[in-house]
Amino acid sequence: MNLEFVNSYLLIITLTSLLVNSIIAIYGIFYRPHYIKKVIALTILSDTMNTFAIYLGYRRWIDNVNPRPPVLTTPPTDEALDSFIRQAVDPLPQALVLTAVVIGLAVTLFLVFQGYILYTHYKTLDMREIKKLKG
Amino acid sequence: MELAYTLLGLTTPILILHAFSIPLAKIVKSEKLPYILAFTASLFAAISSSFVLYEVYHNGPMIYMYGGWPPHFGIVYEVDALNALVGFLTSWVMLAVVLYSYWYRHHLDDPVWYFILLVGLETGILGCLYTGDAFNLFVMLEVLGISAYGLVAYHRDKAEAVEAAAKYALIGAVATTFYFTAVVLLYAGYGSVNMGVLALASRSQLLWLFYEIPPSIKYLTLFSIALALWVFTYKSALFPNHFWLPDAHPEAPTPVSAALSGLVVNVGIYATARFLYTIFGEYSALGEYRIVVLAALFTLGALGGLIGALMMMTQQDIKRLLAYSTISHVGIAYMGITAGFLNGSKEAIAYAIAGGVIHIVAHGIAKALLFMSSGVLIDAAGSRNLDEMRGVGRYYPLTSASLILGFLSLAGFIPFIGFYSKWYIARGYLDAEFPIAPILIIAISALSLPGYLKAIAAIVFSTREKPVNTVKERWIEYLLFAMAIALIVLGVVFQYMWPFYESASKELVSGYLEYIDRAVDKIPLEYRIFISSEIERMLTGVKP
Repeated sequence: MNLEFVNSYLLIITLTSLLVNSIIAIYGIFYRPHYIKKVIALTILSDTMNTFAIYLGYRRWIDNVNPRPPVLTTPPTDEALDSFIRQAVDPLPQALVLTAVVIGLAVTLFLVFQGYILYTHYKTLDMREIKKLKG
Repeated sequence: MELAYTLLGLTTPILILHAFSIPLAKIVKSEKLPYILAFTASLFAAISSSFVLYEVYHNGPMIYMYGGWPPHFGIVYEVDALNALVGFLTSWVMLAVVLYSYWYRHHLDDPVWYFILLVGLETGILGCLYTGDAFNLFVMLEVLGISAYGLVAYHRDKAEAVEAAAKYALIGAVATTFYFTAVVLLYAGYGSVNMGVLALASRSQLLWLFYEIPPSIKYLTLFSIALALWVFTYKSALFPNHFWLPDAHPEAPTPVSAALSGLVVNVGIYATARFLYTIFGEYSALGEYRIVVLAALFTLGALGGLIGALMMMTQQDIKRLLAYSTISHVGIAYMGITAGFLNGSKEAIAYAIAGGVIHIVAHGIAKALLFMSSGVLIDAAGSRNLDEMRGVGRYYPLTSASLILGFLSLAGFIPFIGFYSKWYIARGYLDAEFPIAPILIIAISALSLPGYLKAIAAIVFSTREKPVNTVKERWIEYLLFAMAIALIVLGVVFQYMWPFYESASKELVSGYLEYIDRAVDKIPLEYRIFISSEIERMLTGVKP
């Protein structure tokens, strides 16, 4: 089978699953009543967006050229640089995602501890019953 | 001046260093250390932001390049008249908030964690304001966000505070995730995350590229703007995204309410202005949709102003009343900032935008002052309920005077700066022959008057039967009174301050070329060709 076809097929599958994932995550955040399920949906959403960033930085197989990590292992001669530019994926989205993952970890930890304190106050994590405030 | 340049780059790193040195107090067993470190940090920020404002005003805007990397290759801070002014306001009000936190210490069971978060909050706000990099804005929004969530939940033995923080944090985290997506999409479309280079790339005609921006890029820009505006309006509590504010701001410790209501909302307003005027402003890829977005924000601002004013009337809790007043005033500030959708002359639009900028300043000082003086009176009455606070102000004349002056400034009475902000917004819209806006502003002001008068009448002009708690350390009243006097002074010397506001609004109305120029100027010549060919490749979709 044609490699390029397989490659585009896989990329389309990835994109579709990212779309479905984000819809499920947004549904989970806004419509599931349980606090922890909301937090889980939030991590799904942020991981989906991170994968989306990686997807945008990726490049397809064109003319059987295999994409490779953006690391130059050989001395930077002209030919090496030329093939590097044609093959390497974009490193910037990966750097952005690294930052976003670390921040996401901190936010998730905060939310989970917040959930624990919520539970000690209300003895439940059902957001329908946590409504002392008027909004 | 070399000094201001260095101070600009040092501000956020020094603040973060201070914030994370505060836990040392646990090791050296010092009670005073958190207060000292927080005070030095905020004093440093105040001084350096003053230097930055002076430098920007006298020698023009400046760019700080972290690590010496030019724009597009590294993170830069780009400061012009607008963010220098808002940063100046932020750091000085924050200094007052830190001093007030020292007075408030009898409510703080663990000042170490409190001050880490408070200094972190200041870092986040200043970083958001000064940055010239869209992705750095995301990082700073998260710094600001996490500090704000933690501070709202600071009284963790109160169920309401934890609930408010959980709701604020959950939706806030979704919003910032969407902003991340917006930045990634902009990077995919334009190949840069630097604001100056983005502003250049969104106006391909500046590069002498003789083709139209393709529709795919246009829709991508529109989609990312929609995602980004959601987080900006969420942070600034513009009308449909205001639902978290009346819960979160009253439940936070009082100095934090002052910082959140007076300063954090400005970040959203500033970022909206930056995105819709400088980056995707006139002649940009956003095209005719920019007018639609601005007009929609104007409508939401007007609705938020009306709804905030109406909801304020029914409140019994003084801090909730002030929180709804924040929603109303954020609406007014948005009405000023979004004047770019008008067909009128540049001068008229510049007046209205200057009005929005003045409103940011006027509301920031007045709202911080009101929260802080209400904190003193809440301590004296032992309750936040207006019925139980009746007449308590009579025992604290200086605080009541500052409370009344703050309310008068918010309502827009004449010698105060709050009058000039509304006046300039109204004048700009009148000059542009759009008389609906002045009518709306008058309506909002009139509708919010009963709320203010109710609070003043209950606290100051009623008689009290119940005894009053004695508030220790009355020196805090002088700080409050000084802030109230600042509101009058800023109004009286308005003519001398006008150049600051005027240059800030010029920066938005017609400053985008200079903004791009400054960023591109720092890029070495051989890379400029590379970047322009990169932008061309991105916009035409030709792969190498």
